[in-house]
Amino acid sequence: MDDSPILVVKALEAGVADEDIDILKGVDLAIRPGEIHAVMGPNGSGKSTLAKVIAGHPEYEVTGGSVGLRGEDLLEMEPDERAQAGVFMAFQYPVEIPGVSIANFLRTALQSRLEDGEELDLFDFQELLMERMELLDMDVAFAQRPVNDGFSGGEKKRNEILQMAVLKPALAVMDETDSGLDIDALQVVARGVNTLRDEDPEMSVLLITHYQRILNHIVPDRVHVMVDGRIVESGGPEVALELEAQGYEEYRKAHAA
Amino acid sequence: MTQTAVMREDVRRAIGRTAVLEEGAADPGWLNARREEAWDIYEATPLPSTRSEEWRYTDVARLLPLDELEPAAGGPARVAALPEGLRRAMAQDRESAGRIVDVDGRVVSVELDEALAAQGVVLSSLREAARAGMPEVESLLATEAVPASDGKFAALNAALWSDGVFLYVPRGVRVDRTIRLSRWISRPGTATFTRILIVAEELSRLSFVDEILSPDFSSATLVNTAVELFSRGGAQVQYVSLQRMGEGGVYLANQRTLAERDSTLDTLNVALGGSVGRVDLNARLLGPGANSDMLGLYFGDSNQHFDFNTSQDHVAPNAHSDLLYKGALDGAARGIFRGIIRVHDGAQGTDAYQTNRNLILSDEAISTSLPNLEIEADDVRCSHGATVGQLDAEALFYLMSRGLRREQAERLVVLGFLGEVLSKLPLGGVVEKVTQAIEAKLRYV
Ligand SMILES: Nc1ncnc2c1ncn2[C@@H]1O[C@H](COP(=O)(O)OP(=O)(O)O)[C@@H](O)[C@H]1O
Ligand SMILES: [Mg+2]
Repeated sequence: MDDSPILVVKALEAGVADEDIDILKGVDLAIRPGEIHAVMGPNGSGKSTLAKVIAGHPEYEVTGGSVGLRGEDLLEMEPDERAQAGVFMAFQYPVEIPGVSIANFLRTALQSRLEDGEELDLFDFQELLMERMELLDMDVAFAQRPVNDGFSGGEKKRNEILQMAVLKPALAVMDETDSGLDIDALQVVARGVNTLRDEDPEMSVLLITHYQRILNHIVPDRVHVMVDGRIVESGGPEVALELEAQGYEEYRKAHAA
Repeated sequence: MTQTAVMREDVRRAIGRTAVLEEGAADPGWLNARREEAWDIYEATPLPSTRSEEWRYTDVARLLPLDELEPAAGGPARVAALPEGLRRAMAQDRESAGRIVDVDGRVVSVELDEALAAQGVVLSSLREAARAGMPEVESLLATEAVPASDGKFAALNAALWSDGVFLYVPRGVRVDRTIRLSRWISRPGTATFTRILIVAEELSRLSFVDEILSPDFSSATLVNTAVELFSRGGAQVQYVSLQRMGEGGVYLANQRTLAERDSTLDTLNVALGGSVGRVDLNARLLGPGANSDMLGLYFGDSNQHFDFNTSQDHVAPNAHSDLLYKGALDGAARGIFRGIIRVHDGAQGTDAYQTNRNLILSDEAISTSLPNLEIEADDVRCSHGATVGQLDAEALFYLMSRGLRREQAERLVVLGFLGEVLSKLPLGGVVEKVTQAIEAKLRYV
């Protein structure tokens, strides 16, 4: 097995494009194939910004450093090219697309991964979709609903995991997928992620969370703590437990200035 | 413009008198009299000017070289083979209860389910129905719904119409499958006048799809349609217009729906083709419990110009109307929506809504939206709203982050936006056909 990292983030600095707001102030991160890294930190510390910069959100501008995916410059790629290269971000706030069904959306997403002139086998697609919905305890009718339109918070999060399970990324960035989920829903999400990793042991996960709770179900190799745009501590799963016991306030104080 | 001599004198004679009289010594006297009366009204009515509110954004004098058009007296009654474009559109349709095919303003074939015919359903060339002495044709043609007095084009149509459709569904008869009109215009520089008269008697049911197609034309080619829809007590009627003409097509339609007590009279106007499309739709709620859902969908690109002028006339109390028109505009396309809800004195308990939403896909496209209310009764629930927006950047990013190329993402968002309209009137085959037509158009955007 090639042990070189799939994702390398180096001294990454980023802010809001067209505005003088610095958010990420030098982030370093390396994730090897098959690893699960958790990023924890208080609200506003820059976790979502890190996720969106990796996914290529046009609102953010990288002002320093680099992001590489398997040695390729990710920052040079359009969002769709990043997805084609294996990046998937589960949104903290999934977007509503009125009138576009989940099935149609996912079919188009899979079709877009094929060579020009190649047609997606619709039967295979249906089978995959059904199987994934079953894995995530979803009703078959769900696939016909318009993407996130009128969904509850929990349904939106589940829909993110469904998309991930259908698209099978090499690197999944999950931005607070656990927030707002009850314990049953959380276990369903964890089952989804763990099943994908069983199928593809090389799948890597960057799991952004506010709470230690999800890490009981998706066990991380590394835990990073982000405060004010920087990673201030990295370690094993025990870091998450400490953080939970101590609270973010302490952390913020300890790492202020 | 001096006088109103917008049509050549010889042409006027040819179509207005000679052709009509000659061809149909067979036409009843009342019809010829009605045509002549309409012609007089036409001559006495000025061409709509952009100085009037209703025509402010559509300059017919500029868009339509009326003097130069050749009125189509109707093509041959039989055609050896239907045009390829028309056949393709027809092949897409699901099974129907009946179909009329009209080429260049002349009905060339009529088919109707035999069981329905035996129940008294009439589907016929309008001209033939008039000749056959159908009483509803004489009493309702260009009288209550779209009379010549309605305006310049209503008068012109009432004078010059060459053919059209008469559909009659007797009391209590339910036509479950759609009845279709498939129209084709082949000759550039012509003016075709068509009428559709539909009468749904009490407690009957029908759905009718009026589709018009043509090739691209190098010069302006006019189609003017007068649509008269009557739903009697408790009847259920759906009328769908699919305007898919080629470049150069100028489509002017006068549609009026008259909904009586407890009846439903729903309409859907889809405008995808032609260079200019102007639809005047007046829905009249004439009896308590009447209901009209009024849907519209338009997608313009290049220099296409779509103008919708709608009115919801609540004459009776306790009736309901709900309008939703959605449009996407690309290129240098122009979309105009002007709508009014009129709640007449005595129409208490009215429920009337009006929504127009527009999606602008380019810097040059323009959308104008003018919703309006006029309320003369108490205890009514009315609302109107209009929006003009651009593609949501957040939505595009979301879709692209799943691997869709920008064009694919835009396509899905536009389809989803317009698709809401179709989902409200899920008529067999219409949704698929319109979706495919939009997709085909999006491919060139
Ligand atoms: N588009 C934006 N415009 C202005 N400020 C922003 C924008 N996005 C993020 N920020 C700011 O950057 C900081 C980090 O935000 P975010 O990355 O969402 O944090 P987290 O996900 O850790 O809660 C916050 O102070 C937030 O207000
Ligand atoms: Mg966040």
